[in-house]
Amino acid sequence: MIEIDGLTKVFPNPDGTEKVAVDHISFRVVPGEIYGLLGPNGAGKTTTLRMISGLLRPTAGRVLIDGIDVTAHPEVAKRQIGYLTANTGLYARLTPLEVLDYFATLYDLPREVARARIRQLVDWLDMGSYVKLRCGALSTGQKQRVNIARALIGDPRILVLDEPTLGLDVLSNRLILEFVRTQAASGKAVLLSTHALDEIDMLCRRMGLIHNGRLIAEGALDTLREQTGRQRLSEVFLHLVGADQAVFATSGQESTTPAIAGPPRREA
Amino acid sequence: MKRLTRIATIWRKELIDTLRDRRTLIAMVLVPLVLYPAMILGSLQGFELQISRLKQEEYRIAVNGPALAAWLRDIIDKDPARRPGAAQRPAEELVELDRRGELPAEPPSTRPTRERSAAEAAREDVRRQPPPYAIVVVPDAESVRQMVIRGDAHVGVLVDGELPTGEGRGSTRVTVLMDQTDIRSQIAAAGLESIFDRAADALLQQRLRQVDLEPEFIRPIELREESTASPEKVGGSILGQIVPLILIIMTITGAIYPAIDLTAGERERGTLETLMVAPVPTVDLIAGKFLVVALIGMLSAALNLLSIGGTIWLGGLGDLLTRGDAVVIPLGALPWVLVVLIPLAVMFSALLLAVCSFARSFKEAQNYVMPVMVAAMIPAIIGVLPGTRLEGPLLIMPVTNIVILTRDLFMGRFDWFHILWVTLSTTLYAGAAVAVAARLFGQEAVLFADSGSVKTLFQRRFFRPSDAPTAAQAFLLLAVIFSAMFFAQQQLLRLSGGAGTLTYWTGVAGTMLAFFVLLPVAAAVYLRIDVRRTFRLRAPPPAGWLAGLCFGLSTWVLVQAWVVYQQRWLPMPQAIEQALERMVGQLRATPWPVMLVFLALIPATCEEFFFRGFALSGLRQGLGKVGAVLVVGLTFGVFHHSVHRLIPTAALGLLFAILVLQYRSLWPAILAHFLHNGLSGLSVRDDALRPLLATLGFVPNEAGLPPVGWLVAAGGLLLLGIALCLFPPKRGAGLESQASIGDHVTGDAP
Repeated sequence: MIEIDGLTKVFPNPDGTEKVAVDHISFRVVPGEIYGLLGPNGAGKTTTLRMISGLLRPTAGRVLIDGIDVTAHPEVAKRQIGYLTANTGLYARLTPLEVLDYFATLYDLPREVARARIRQLVDWLDMGSYVKLRCGALSTGQKQRVNIARALIGDPRILVLDEPTLGLDVLSNRLILEFVRTQAASGKAVLLSTHALDEIDMLCRRMGLIHNGRLIAEGALDTLREQTGRQRLSEVFLHLVGADQAVFATSGQESTTPAIAGPPRREA
Repeated sequence: MKRLTRIATIWRKELIDTLRDRRTLIAMVLVPLVLYPAMILGSLQGFELQISRLKQEEYRIAVNGPALAAWLRDIIDKDPARRPGAAQRPAEELVELDRRGELPAEPPSTRPTRERSAAEAAREDVRRQPPPYAIVVVPDAESVRQMVIRGDAHVGVLVDGELPTGEGRGSTRVTVLMDQTDIRSQIAAAGLESIFDRAADALLQQRLRQVDLEPEFIRPIELREESTASPEKVGGSILGQIVPLILIIMTITGAIYPAIDLTAGERERGTLETLMVAPVPTVDLIAGKFLVVALIGMLSAALNLLSIGGTIWLGGLGDLLTRGDAVVIPLGALPWVLVVLIPLAVMFSALLLAVCSFARSFKEAQNYVMPVMVAAMIPAIIGVLPGTRLEGPLLIMPVTNIVILTRDLFMGRFDWFHILWVTLSTTLYAGAAVAVAARLFGQEAVLFADSGSVKTLFQRRFFRPSDAPTAAQAFLLLAVIFSAMFFAQQQLLRLSGGAGTLTYWTGVAGTMLAFFVLLPVAAAVYLRIDVRRTFRLRAPPPAGWLAGLCFGLSTWVLVQAWVVYQQRWLPMPQAIEQALERMVGQLRATPWPVMLVFLALIPATCEEFFFRGFALSGLRQGLGKVGAVLVVGLTFGVFHHSVHRLIPTAALGLLFAILVLQYRSLWPAILAHFLHNGLSGLSVRDDALRPLLATLGFVPNEAGLPPVGWLVAAGGLLLLGIALCLFPPKRGAGLESQASIGDHVTGDAP
């Protein structure tokens, strides 16, 4: 379970001022659930996910991973987290097998367990044909499969996914969504941040909407639809960020202000 | 154990990753093994070729008159040095042999010559074997000068008065005009001057025969110079000038790519984020990476050394370097040089890693690396300056000391004292660099370009208040203060008119206050570190005072006994003993309270403040209790700048560190330190404790060993003190555990 309580991140600007990137965000993700985190570019989604994964230290608030404070015991908490983003790099000069073996050791898996787990992941993700090639020679889709395997190597109870389908083709896209669904079904708590509204629509029962660093709406999708009186998720989204009236009136301004996003970009 | 396994895993992965990188392989293997010997051979052979061509060229001599031209032609053609078998004989010998018609067909044997530059060697060669000359006649002296200025003639010859003859009695002045900036003119002049020398010798012999004198008559002293340097030493000295520089450049070159690739490169490729998500402490990551970079640096240095050895052995590089003189290249020194290179590779790897950890991209890292290279070359060049010796500040000057030590090793000078100093100081610098690298690597500001500025790492308003410095900060301050103290003391000795004066001691007190108290306190305030907790200024429990008293009353007797014992296997040279005596100097004549202040109160307070205060608190954070105690003890020993005092001072440092850690207060350690220094100093003074101690039976024997009874008593006290530290009394322990909670929560003494 992920419990986030009053999470805040303040970055110092080079000119000495401060920028509040994430402002007192609280929510929780229970086992077996896929929680969608939605928000325009620059809203603070990635910063939130990085704090949850222990990459950034929160300015205030705390993150509990199965009851363990990430800031106080990062090594223990990180063991339970599988972290995956669209632009995660792989070691180009290592083979997928070596990468998986390396991370298995970093997660302190015993030899036999690691070997069995790697075999299982290679079979499941159908990577047999390229596990012994260098990662640098793989296609984007193949790399993302290796990355999924890498995120799952420690058998984490929590999955933190930051726009995992960005830039993928339809086939790879489907693979990821399938992977998210099966992982949740197996009892993992999944936190999914994305631009793609249809992914949220397909996968999530609950979601949170981040805007300007604040969680402006949170709850079950159906409740949000009722609250806003809109049926299509894109309209719900625009209504919540307060941009539905402004869309036509100030269309010029819209593209220059990152805080107000246009309709979500679809990746085909 | 698990941690070591993890670091080993990271190390293995990074090594595989690095060795599969073509750039690393090129810098590490290809450059030294192929390109580099080829370049040396190529350039040397090119140079040799050029020189030998110059030696055979025909040179033009401008003269102002046909008579002079005819005479010149005559002495040039009759010059005995041009005949076969004349090579490498001194002028008088040649002339003499020529007169007797005994000029042999084979050249005489060679012997090692002094070091010389290539141009010097070329000039010397043409002196032995002059090049062919053509003579051009011009109307007057001014035209001769002009021809040389314009370069139409390589040299000009002017004669004042009559041409010299064997019959005459006077002396004729002959001027050779030459252009010092032109190598051809230099060679032509050198050859011509040697011809004149021999011609003058021949004329002299003619004149001597006329008055029936032997040549020895005008040569009452026959001067010869003979170098005692063995051929190995000459070879070593030649190698020692070039090889250390090459090795330093090559070590850095080998380490650069892995250092950039494993830090900034990893960040740029987006793998750093993935790596940081893994449940591994940053220190372990940087340790694994550091070991790879250091290994590659060392391999690179080793391959270069091997390549140099191989080129000398197989490729005749030695002959080229020494120009055929009978010089032996000391290949046996190469393994020793490799051993000395290990700390150098470690230091540079850590430095490069620190610099690259700071960079956000490969390109940025490359920009940062260049200044490091340049900065490394300056001290390296100081090291190869002729006449530099490994003493004084140079002993701890980074890079310089290794360059000089390498040269000494090549010349067959092994000094364990030097090797120890160089290795210890370099290791300390390396440790500081690793600490900085660990601090920078994985910093939020460096990890994610969008999360603020790198300034946040250095500007005070971005610091978070903390209870104690980090291990990195402690290491950094240790390294800074180590060199600062060293230089300050050298300055003090100069400014105060030598050790032992009261000015000197006032200066020592001032430097101690500045470096051991003010600097750490200022650093703590700047870094927003809690001063009271870092320096452990709270009052100790009574058991703490008691333990401090036990140490303070016992160690001075035991150290005295140790010094006597140590004298047997590590005798202190008399010069050092006298230097130590001189250090105390005028203090002996002052009233004893003054001595107590300078020798005990100030050192005890200041040193405890820094070592058992700042350094211990910081190291405790990163190294754990045992590690921190050991490192504090050892550095305290090293800071005393003496091999002979290393063991007792390190042991004292260790004891005081345990004391401070156990009772969470600096005061008992200051008490113990004060008593130790004070009793050591006052126990030998007749106007202080000596008479009193004598009535109590404390009369050391001739060697200086304290009486057995005193030794047993001191040993008992010491054990009691240690026991008080390891097993604090029940009531004290209760208080202690309370105190430890209170320390964290409220910071108040119970």
